[in-house]
Amino acid sequence: MQDYRNPILVGDSVPDFTLDTYEPSAQDFGSFELAKAKAAGRWSILFFYPADFTFV
Amino acid sequence: MGAEIVTISTDTKFTHLAWQRHEGELSDVSYSMGADTTGKLGRLFGVYDTTTGLTRRGTFLVDPTGRLVMAEVSADNIGRNIDELMRKFKASLYVSRKTTEACPAKWKDEESRTLSPSARMVGRVREALES
Repeated sequence: MQDYRNPILVGDSVPDFTLDTYEPSAQDFGSFELAKAKAAGRWSILFFYPADFTFV
Repeated sequence: MGAEIVTISTDTKFTHLAWQRHEGELSDVSYSMGADTTGKLGRLFGVYDTTTGLTRRGTFLVDPTGRLVMAEVSADNIGRNIDELMRKFKASLYVSRKTTEACPAKWKDEESRTLSPSARMVGRVREALES
């Protein structure tokens, strides 16, 4: 993934990205690809938090 | 009302797995748990804290065209409420279908009053909400 210097703002287009994931529903590792969500006509909610094993 | 939900921290996917299996509060989760181990995605969204190497509590809504339509970042000691997020998500879905309308502060759901901004409404928002 490119290293972005300026954070994006509301109204901007989010560059496509891929993240490694853990998928609790499948109890397996997976990935999230923004391009796939867009191709499927889906909205995406990104929920950042500081650290596992703390409250969210 | 479907959306891809991804929770993201700088932990690895292995830590996500261990946390989800250990923490009873997470036994029913169905969303993806993303690993932003380099913090690059956090930097892109302006939530990566360079002093701690962790990401702040930020929630971002991206529409199906890839446009960022909502951003909200709160201090570390303020937890987020799913109802607050769902209201904004529902409002975003609504205005994406009805592009001439806007959801005002008290908008809750499809039954709620919307506004159609125009020259006539300037300075007369109260009248528009009451009419």
